[in-house]
Amino acid sequence: MTSYIVRRLFATLPVMAVVALFVFFLLRFAPGDPAAIIAGDDATAESIAAVRAKLGLDRPMVEQFVVWVGQLLQGDMGVSIFSNLAVTRLIAQRLEPTVALTLSTLFVAVVLAVPIGVVAAWKARKLVDRLAMAFAVLGFAMPTFVLAYILIYFFAVQWQLLPVQGYAPIKQGFWPFVESLILPSVALGITYMALIARITRASMLEVLAQDYIRTANSKGLATDRVLLLHALKNAAVPIVTVIGIGIALLISGVVITETVFNIPGLGRLTVDAVLKRDYPVVQGLILVFAGAKVLVNLIIDISYAFLDPRIRY
Amino acid sequence: MAVVADDLDLPATRRFSLWTAVRRNPTIAFGAVLLAALIVMAVFAPFIAPNDPLKLSPVNRLRPPSERWWFGTDQFGRDIFSRTIYGARVSLIVGLSVAAFSSVLGLALGLACGYFRKVDGIVMRIMDGLMAIPSILLAIALITLSRPGLGIVIVAIVIPEVPRIVRVVRAVVLSIRAQPYIESAIAGGTKNMKLLWRHVLPNTLAPLIVQSTYVCASAMLIEAGLSFLGAGVPPEIPSWGNIIAQGRTYFQIAPWTILIPGAFLAVTVLAVNLLGDGLRDRLDPRLARRL
Amino acid sequence: MAEASILEVRDLHTQFRTLDGIVRAVDGVSFHVARGETLGIVGESGCGKSVTAMSILRLIPPETGRIASGSIKFEGEELTTLSEEEMKRLRGHRISMIFQEPMTSLNPVLTVGTQIAENVVRHLNVPWSAARDRAREMLDLVRIADARRRLDEYPHQLSGGMRQRVMIAMALSCDPQVLIADEPTTALDVTIQAQILDLMIELKEKTGTAIVLITHDLGVVAETTERVVVMYAGRKVEEASVEALFAEPLHPYTRGLMRAIPRLDVEADAAGTRPRLQEIPGLVPILTKPIVGCAFAPRCGFATDRCRSEAPPLVEGGAGHTVACWEVERVRASA
Repeated sequence: MTSYIVRRLFATLPVMAVVALFVFFLLRFAPGDPAAIIAGDDATAESIAAVRAKLGLDRPMVEQFVVWVGQLLQGDMGVSIFSNLAVTRLIAQRLEPTVALTLSTLFVAVVLAVPIGVVAAWKARKLVDRLAMAFAVLGFAMPTFVLAYILIYFFAVQWQLLPVQGYAPIKQGFWPFVESLILPSVALGITYMALIARITRASMLEVLAQDYIRTANSKGLATDRVLLLHALKNAAVPIVTVIGIGIALLISGVVITETVFNIPGLGRLTVDAVLKRDYPVVQGLILVFAGAKVLVNLIIDISYAFLDPRIRY
Repeated sequence: MAVVADDLDLPATRRFSLWTAVRRNPTIAFGAVLLAALIVMAVFAPFIAPNDPLKLSPVNRLRPPSERWWFGTDQFGRDIFSRTIYGARVSLIVGLSVAAFSSVLGLALGLACGYFRKVDGIVMRIMDGLMAIPSILLAIALITLSRPGLGIVIVAIVIPEVPRIVRVVRAVVLSIRAQPYIESAIAGGTKNMKLLWRHVLPNTLAPLIVQSTYVCASAMLIEAGLSFLGAGVPPEIPSWGNIIAQGRTYFQIAPWTILIPGAFLAVTVLAVNLLGDGLRDRLDPRLARRL
Repeated sequence: MAEASILEVRDLHTQFRTLDGIVRAVDGVSFHVARGETLGIVGESGCGKSVTAMSILRLIPPETGRIASGSIKFEGEELTTLSEEEMKRLRGHRISMIFQEPMTSLNPVLTVGTQIAENVVRHLNVPWSAARDRAREMLDLVRIADARRRLDEYPHQLSGGMRQRVMIAMALSCDPQVLIADEPTTALDVTIQAQILDLMIELKEKTGTAIVLITHDLGVVAETTERVVVMYAGRKVEEASVEALFAEPLHPYTRGLMRAIPRLDVEADAAGTRPRLQEIPGLVPILTKPIVGCAFAPRCGFATDRCRSEAPPLVEGGAGHTVACWEVERVRASA
């Protein structure tokens, strides 16, 4: 098992290398002069040269790359052009809201979507199933920010049950923290829920037609044991896979959701950095998000071993 | 499986009737009709829109929906109805061209990967890397490299979407190559290109069409998201994402500025997704069972 | 006879809705099983024997099929009208079932011990630890070596024969009165088949569980059962003790089945060839249309106009041997 994990860790290296290369060349091979773009529309020749020197763009490409990777390996992602703060520090400051939002969305989505999918499969082609699948199709087409505004309009503006915007760090108390996360989590999670509910239903339908389910029924087991142990455990691998794939969806959604709800997380940082063309920060964020995604995939791969005893490493 | 049986009917013996076609594929029909209506609306926008979508009218700012302004006005007094109709153009152009470009590119790369071992290693590593970067982030990063415009938005969305197509096409090619009839054709000395043209390409078509409808829907969502973040099409172009972004500040007093273009966006994406689901059930029953 | 029987099926009709219409999978079948008896149900695939078994346990999927009419009495209690909850308490406890495919009938992600013990916990109201002991005892009983270790193994770690032993252990774990075995050995190697059948008979002697053995294989029937019901197209066409049936099969269909078994006791002729195995000509009828007359008539060499227009009733042919055939005298004479 340990050797498998180590091998899988090594397998992530080429992926991260491609990401790093991409991030590096993103700036260097940009059409036009990135230094000029960064310096802004009314920059002088000197200010452009200053930007170029600051980014090391005046040195040979290979040297730039070696220096950059060397720094990266030491945990140095460079310095923000605007705030002059270390990129790692900027990211660390903004980490908590994003992690909180992602985890709460993951929680809400899985806790709601898996049961919906299980019930839909159990009552296949009945009314409950049709409603659940209609919800899934609609949820899949609903843009995050549109749903976000609808939720804000009703729950915050009309009924005043929850805060309109903003984020309360967990140290300000648990309830304000949770309150500030409910609407963003639902808005962010809807597409994700639709995806999980659909795959759960499909996977369960396939499993429910298997011989061992007939065996379980012939033993007179209670319905919940047949559904939740005999069937769901067998259906779990595709479901967990989709939960993993969906993390990418969440990360994309985080950028938008944090903007709508004015949450000071990595998503806001990304948008701000992009609009200000603060390349070192953008590069660092891409690396962090891609790293998070690769890590999630790794966890998913390892979890298969616990779900299916037939998988051996 | 009944669907497959239908396909075996010879076209000559089947009396074509639009009504039976619709009855058999209600999802495709519904999605197609909805999408067709939206395309007509976009193409004939100048004739349908009662007002100039760009015309400012400060006297009439933030008017709620009424007989005069069906969908109300924004903070500059621009007619939301007209803007929304014009906005369909951006969404559809982006959706359709991203679907077309990424299909062509993805098909070429996917065939190459499935066919040539050497290409496969390199290209798939790059695809894995691209897929590791969340698509909206990748698109934003690409857009910041250039002056804003519709073209760069399309390119920036095509790049993160291509790997999805490549993977589908490559998987089909590999599975077809493993078929006994292809192996015997290779053993019999059939040329690579002929093999590709005769056997492989036709088989990739169905999954490719299905996948590209999903890419189209996803592209529309990404474009709207980019515009909403201020990193999409230039703000002077009335795209749904831009209309929503501009309505943000006044959302609490003028929710229609966001909800109406939002609803159009959702319905458009829904139409394309339904079309995709219907095509998937019809063309690719194997995939349909998995999802 | 009736008071001695533990299971009594009378005029059972089970139907499925399909795109082509209603399939009458079981079309008026009656039989009974005595306490501790082994009854064989024989027929080609699609004759309704498995559906009969599933009907007894009421495991017909309600979306597509239903028991249209008839009565199933277990220990005098009518099963067709029991609530689903009451049925669940019966299944795996007083009537249990094993299936054809040992490779797929066990849940791949649960240990063997869990799958046996959960049955015991469910029906005998004992704690898990006691149920596990019982599971180990059962594995010993079906002669799986090193039972303690096997309890924690998953089905994929066992061979096909062992899995069928596990199925048997599971089915017998709550001391059922009736065990329905649907083609229990069909998917196994010939040598393993014999072992499993011997095991089932031995356990039957030990526990007094009645067995309903469903099979297409007359050889299996000859070796293991006491009484045989022959089914064709959803109907019972013949019933007799094993000895009587093999001594003198009365239905042309049963004769056809017997001619399709390879025989070693027939002398080869001078050229060294044995008589060819004969298959029954024609196809099993389509069950979506009501069958007029005898279902076997289109494939039968003895068929007359009467066979094609009027369904033959089951008649007593002496010594509990019943048969549904108008031309039974001609069949008898032709032997």
